[in-house]
Amino acid sequence: MAAVSRGLLSRITQIFPIRSLTLSSSQSLPHSNFFLTQRFSSEITGAPSRIIEAKPVEMSGISKRTGIIAVKCGMTALWDKWGARVPVSILWVDDNIVSQVKTVEKEGIFALQIGCGHKKAKHLTMPELGHFRGQGVDLKRKLREFPVTEDALLPVGTELGVRHFVPGQFVDVTGITRGKGFQGVMKRWKFKGGPASHGCSKAHRKGGSTGQRDDPGKVFKGRKMPGRMGAEQRTVKNVWVYKIDPARNLIWVRGQVPGAEGNFVFIKDAHYKKPDVSKLPFPTYLSPEDEDPSELEPLVADLGEVDPFMLAE
Amino acid sequence: MQSIRSSSTRLLQRNRFSISNTLLRFTSSSSSENELRKLGGGYDPFPSTRAFDSYLISSLTKAVPFSSPLPKQSFMYSSRYFSTVGDSVPRGFPVVSAPDVSPRIKFKRLDKTAKHIMQIVDKEAVEEVRTRREIPEIRPGYIVQLKVEVPENKRRVSIVKGIVIARRNAGLNSTFRIRRLVAGVGVESMFPLYSPNLREIKVLDKKRVRRAKLYYLRDKMNALKKH
Repeated sequence: MAAVSRGLLSRITQIFPIRSLTLSSSQSLPHSNFFLTQRFSSEITGAPSRIIEAKPVEMSGISKRTGIIAVKCGMTALWDKWGARVPVSILWVDDNIVSQVKTVEKEGIFALQIGCGHKKAKHLTMPELGHFRGQGVDLKRKLREFPVTEDALLPVGTELGVRHFVPGQFVDVTGITRGKGFQGVMKRWKFKGGPASHGCSKAHRKGGSTGQRDDPGKVFKGRKMPGRMGAEQRTVKNVWVYKIDPARNLIWVRGQVPGAEGNFVFIKDAHYKKPDVSKLPFPTYLSPEDEDPSELEPLVADLGEVDPFMLAE
Repeated sequence: MQSIRSSSTRLLQRNRFSISNTLLRFTSSSSSENELRKLGGGYDPFPSTRAFDSYLISSLTKAVPFSSPLPKQSFMYSSRYFSTVGDSVPRGFPVVSAPDVSPRIKFKRLDKTAKHIMQIVDKEAVEEVRTRREIPEIRPGYIVQLKVEVPENKRRVSIVKGIVIARRNAGLNSTFRIRRLVAGVGVESMFPLYSPNLREIKVLDKKRVRRAKLYYLRDKMNALKKH
């Protein structure tokens, strides 16, 4: 309430000169009062202008869907149906739910805050508990915001599953990389080092020169030197989704994914290799009521009818 | 808001099952008091379950007679036992006996859960390959004949015959090495056990060896080496 009156007072000083400030807002001129109330009625009453429903919508070319949070389980290798070896990372999507919707009217952007995992109440701070209680969502371990377009908004409490992605599409996977500790310049910045012999004195793995001499007389900022490596956020782009298991919420993607086993990764649609708009469930995969998720078979990417090895001959 | 209702009912069931699973381990009333204190202290998003859970606890403790040979100190570790004992049986859903539906896993440490999931997935993949194809036991020292289909080579089926000198167990990626003489030259090749390109494996003979890895044959069976 204090904020509302503060805003009102600032607007009154903008419109009227300072001498009218002696009057309180209720005692101001009747026409100005009417003008003020007409202008600020929506802000004072705070009527929600947006109703968000979860129903399938046509996806346009500029729409952006939300991403999901998963746990990296590990890597293995599988054989696809033509007998070729596919190195895969297994990602476990553990109970993703929409925990907050951000709109332009209130927060300034369109975004969905997704929560993943489970957490006990005794392990959460009071502000976090209040946030979950206010939104009416159960306690999650990891929260992350994904900016979306306006047509991709989902209501609070919508569950996102593994079927949000389609096997055969490309995704970008973001994660915190493994920490490597304090590393030298050869590993951290891929320097070539010095020669191993031919008289090289004690400089086999060093960085060499760090700059010029008297002018500039300093080492420039950003000079690559040894330091702590890893444990930072990186994105691996254009990862091919090989297989999806809706019964157990697992995704198999080809190749490596940043981070160690047990860490959270954030999966989004690929930015460069954009998937086919008609095949993706938009805004997300909304399962019909009679479908039992534990009975579904894993879906494998379509590898085509032609044997790629025979083609090469 | 059907999705919220369904998720909340599922969580209700999970809470109920977790309480009942872990309570079966404790037979004394003082540990149940710890239970109630813990429930009362923490924030409960579902106030309806608290009444049910306290009723559950009281009914269970009334049913089970008070018999505790455990000393007093063990109750202080009840919170630790809570998690590890509960972990041996997957908390949440009861264990389903159907082989293709794995039980819901709810551990505290995520990397342990991740490794567990990897194990389950790997075992299932191995089972699937084993049921579809007959793979005999291969140990070092066996003379083995394989029919290998090479996809790069226009899918020709070649016959490989040699002695198994090593076997590496790694779930689905288990491999074994075969040493054979090809045109007078010793050649070692490595094959994944569960590869779909191995059409047929036939064990011809079993030699008695006293090692797991027969790398000494490289010096012994070497035709190129001059003595």
